[in-house]
Amino acid sequence: MTTRVRSAAEPATTEVAARTARGPREHLPAARRAGPRARLGGVAAFVLLGLWLLGRRLGYGPGEYLQLLVDGTVTGAVYALVAVGFAVVYRVTGVINFAQGAFVMLGPMLTVSFFRALGGAGAVALATAALAAVAVTAGLAMAVHRFTLHPARGASALTRIIITVGVYISLQGLALRIWGPRPQVMPAFTTMQMADRLLEVGGVVLQAQSLWVWGTGAVTVLALAAFFEGTVVGKAMRACAVNRTAARLMGIPVDRMATLAFGLAGVLGAVAGIVLAPSTRPTYDMGLDLGLKGFVAAIAGGLVSVPGAVAGGLVLGVLESLWAGVTVAGFKDLFAFVMLILLLLSRPQGWLEAGHE
Amino acid sequence: MRQGSWGFRWLAAAAAVAAVGVWDLVQPGGLARLSGGLFTSDLLIRTGLFTVVLVGLNLLMGYAGQASLGQAAFYGMGAFASAIFTVRARVLGIPPAVAEAWWWPWVVMVLAALAVGAFALVVGLAILRLRGHYLAMATLGLGVIVYIVLRENLGMPHLNLTGGFDGIVGVPRLRVGGVQLWPVQVYFFVVWAAALASLALGLNVVHSPVGRALRALHGSELAAESVGVDVGSLKAKIFALSAALASVAGSLYAHFQAAVVPDTFGFVPSLELVVMSAVGGMSSIWGAPLGALTVLLLEQLLRTHVLGLVPAVSGELEPVVFGAMLVVIMMYWPGGLVSSRRTQAPVWTSR
Amino acid sequence: MSGLWRGRPWRAALCLGVAAVLVGVLVYPLVAAPAARVGAPYRIGFIASVTGPGASLGTPERDVARLVQERLNREGGIAGPDGVRHEVQILIQDDQSRADVAASLARRLIEQEQVHVLVGTTLSGPSLAIVPIATELRTPNISMASARAIIEDPQTKRMRTWIFKPVPENLHSAAKQAEYLKAAGIDRVCHLYENTAYGQDTFASAKQEFPKLGIRILYGDSFDRFATEFPQVTRVRASGCQAVVIGSIPPAAAVINVAVAGRVGPRKIVHGHGACSPDLIRTAGQAAEGTVMPCGKILVADQLPANDPVRRVNLQLIEEYSRLTGGQPISTFAGHAYDALQWALLGLQAVPDGQPLARVRELARDGIERIRNYVGTHGVMNLSPEDHLGFDPKDFVIVTVQGGRFVLLPPQRWK
Repeated sequence: MTTRVRSAAEPATTEVAARTARGPREHLPAARRAGPRARLGGVAAFVLLGLWLLGRRLGYGPGEYLQLLVDGTVTGAVYALVAVGFAVVYRVTGVINFAQGAFVMLGPMLTVSFFRALGGAGAVALATAALAAVAVTAGLAMAVHRFTLHPARGASALTRIIITVGVYISLQGLALRIWGPRPQVMPAFTTMQMADRLLEVGGVVLQAQSLWVWGTGAVTVLALAAFFEGTVVGKAMRACAVNRTAARLMGIPVDRMATLAFGLAGVLGAVAGIVLAPSTRPTYDMGLDLGLKGFVAAIAGGLVSVPGAVAGGLVLGVLESLWAGVTVAGFKDLFAFVMLILLLLSRPQGWLEAGHE
Repeated sequence: MRQGSWGFRWLAAAAAVAAVGVWDLVQPGGLARLSGGLFTSDLLIRTGLFTVVLVGLNLLMGYAGQASLGQAAFYGMGAFASAIFTVRARVLGIPPAVAEAWWWPWVVMVLAALAVGAFALVVGLAILRLRGHYLAMATLGLGVIVYIVLRENLGMPHLNLTGGFDGIVGVPRLRVGGVQLWPVQVYFFVVWAAALASLALGLNVVHSPVGRALRALHGSELAAESVGVDVGSLKAKIFALSAALASVAGSLYAHFQAAVVPDTFGFVPSLELVVMSAVGGMSSIWGAPLGALTVLLLEQLLRTHVLGLVPAVSGELEPVVFGAMLVVIMMYWPGGLVSSRRTQAPVWTSR
Repeated sequence: MSGLWRGRPWRAALCLGVAAVLVGVLVYPLVAAPAARVGAPYRIGFIASVTGPGASLGTPERDVARLVQERLNREGGIAGPDGVRHEVQILIQDDQSRADVAASLARRLIEQEQVHVLVGTTLSGPSLAIVPIATELRTPNISMASARAIIEDPQTKRMRTWIFKPVPENLHSAAKQAEYLKAAGIDRVCHLYENTAYGQDTFASAKQEFPKLGIRILYGDSFDRFATEFPQVTRVRASGCQAVVIGSIPPAAAVINVAVAGRVGPRKIVHGHGACSPDLIRTAGQAAEGTVMPCGKILVADQLPANDPVRRVNLQLIEEYSRLTGGQPISTFAGHAYDALQWALLGLQAVPDGQPLARVRELARDGIERIRNYVGTHGVMNLSPEDHLGFDPKDFVIVTVQGGRFVLLPPQRWK
């Protein structure tokens, strides 16, 4: 029914697109000339100003702002981990993995189950349960790629996105079946009880769990960086991300790298969910929200860059926290999506380096 | 292209629909009983409603090649417009003589469609410059923003226009003159009249010069532009048309369900629409009713037959099977069920 | 040989045999014990929010529905006023805490499954969506949600003919909270409520009832049910209130409880009746200790005085519930479901056998409206055409959390 319009213009189109996306940029106006990070910084600064003004009207002083800022870096760290998961998968496979949210949910849910099986008490049991949960999630993620996306690798991007949507729906449904609709409870890592220890630093009240979030986030990202820079496999993955065809020609098993990328995304998602779980009571449907926001953060950071995803996550977390401090409760989620649209509009030709498909 | 041949198919479809409608009217529930609880009036009506939305979505995604992950937002805007301007008419200062007139909900429906279409046109001109999945994400963002605004009572809780999380209840039935277009068996004809009209509209567009321009657009925007197609405005117009169709469907839904709730129009419902479109066949107008019917039938099947209505609680297993089936269908029939009848091998297209 | 059978003695024997049989057939029905007549089975539609934000309330409700079904199966159903027994089937459905799903389910249960009475649903919003459908289709509907507007038309202030609910309202809850606060010597409070219709209603009720006893709300704000951080806590600390009143249901109630408990020092935390569930203790843990809330008597049934008629009913329900759910502690929501189903059964018990569907529904409705001195889980209830709730506010008790359980707090210990 549809006829693909094949014209002589086709090859030229990709060339033009490639040149426009990468540069040289002299012919573009100054605002467009700035790189994606600079632009993100600009948007963020503008938003910050607005939020500061709103806060002043509520009588917020530096103490309140600091509190909101600190709270924001905690959620921001979680968003960052999820965002990196999106970025890694996208770089290596070109797929936007809607199932990422499911990995974020499975991490804590599995941890709670394993923890209970190991007796339900003690830091050692919890740590073991967490590690097992991360491993299982990573394995599941790889299986997802191997059995659903790999066979469909020639399909259009939209088709593959819908496949990941189907996977997400299945996994969420499975979680509902296994764990039921009620939220699970995970003890805070420091006290190994429901109630967490509170720290007061310079007028800012902090949950001890926040330290875990920052610490785990930093360690995970650094480990990932070391992996990409230092190991052969890591470098091979980067090669796939830059140019699939060339990588294949060099003898790199591109499809296996794709599966591995999913495994990494599973690890990142699971860790993000586990470290957040004591304060949010993991539930079968927690993945949707976190997945979407992590995705927004990934876009903010350019979707293809790991440090960009981290930056995007932190920026989103902080800005969202400040926004939540000045707005009516229900509008909190609005921020991430308004930011998404602003970011997309500020660079309509896309944030992707060309030569990807 | 066979220019006039779609007319015969359409007439056949119209006749089939009329037959089903008359049967259900004469013997209410008969079809449902015969099919073991599958073809309920509820299912038939919802298939009709989604057909209207999907015709627009298929034109947008399948023909123009522009992804939309926020279509349920337009559906919701139409539904809420109809609900607010009838149930909350007094708050808005509309005189009762107008608000209770039989023609008022129809006027609201038309005006809402125009307004939503205009809104989509303006937004479209801005965001349709985006490519591929960036456009998809922008529509996703838009959809969620509309959902949140509807859920938060438009930010004005004292006016209580959208009813917050619980929405608006008590939307009146549609009437013509003094005659109420109810019960459900009668409303079937109203909804399917709209569905058949939208099918005719869609088929008309597809087989017209506009349709050819759309296909050119889908193939390559640059190439289309080089042969004189005004790419930007065409995309925006199709976006607006799809939004207007969704709005009409939403209004019809409001008068059917009588309870309009923001959760019906969020991110997941938008995904469900994309799923229906993909399952039926994005690049086909006939994929609209096919996709809607298949997905709704599948849900109904799972709900009533796999689990039984008594005594288990429905909904627990359903998403797992549904998601798995979606994955399988997308893996082996990415062109949708419509295309599998034409080509043996799946149609792979890269973007 | 065959000639033997045609002989005269055999013919006489044959005639006597036939006569005996005929006599027996005619006489037997007059002397035999009358067999019990069994009427057509009744169907009760049951909608609850087993998944979604209302799951914490809907799941115990669903469990009670199963419990009642088991009981009915054991007892062979119910008997009408004419002694005819009817089997009762309870069709259980999940509305996912959504008003549109609830509306669809209500329509399906009434029109296709042809239920005689509809019980449902858990939350106020979806219950309000069911109201016009039950009314249009003339089927009695017993809701398990608390909003006043479910049974009372806000315009005319009259009871809706077909709708009933055994659930007390936020106004009752707020009045009891005010009573407690006054006795505890607190007159300045903060009020945090979840950003739903239920939460907003708790706040509206507080604004109405608290000033009557001289209690001022210094700071009131809504909070997002799904939030992880709560900037409102900062403002609570700055406000100078002596207690924090929370209008929410678990798990949100537990989450905000934890957020507040850690950061507002010795301030008392007072919940509403929506938090009367073991889920609160399970999710909030240590943070729930010492919190106070007005609850139905079912929660502390074993601590009620022996002469309270409600005690026996509750203890039996708690025992069966524990057996069915493998040891789950009871919540007030389970109690509401139980009362709602009992009302449905009492209504059906008023219907003589052999009525067509529409008439059964009408007569059941009348039967429900005539319920008097019903000993339920929350108190003794009396219905009438002017009162489809029947709850006496004096039946609320104040309960606190101590050692991980709910403990009755009699007025002398309110400080």
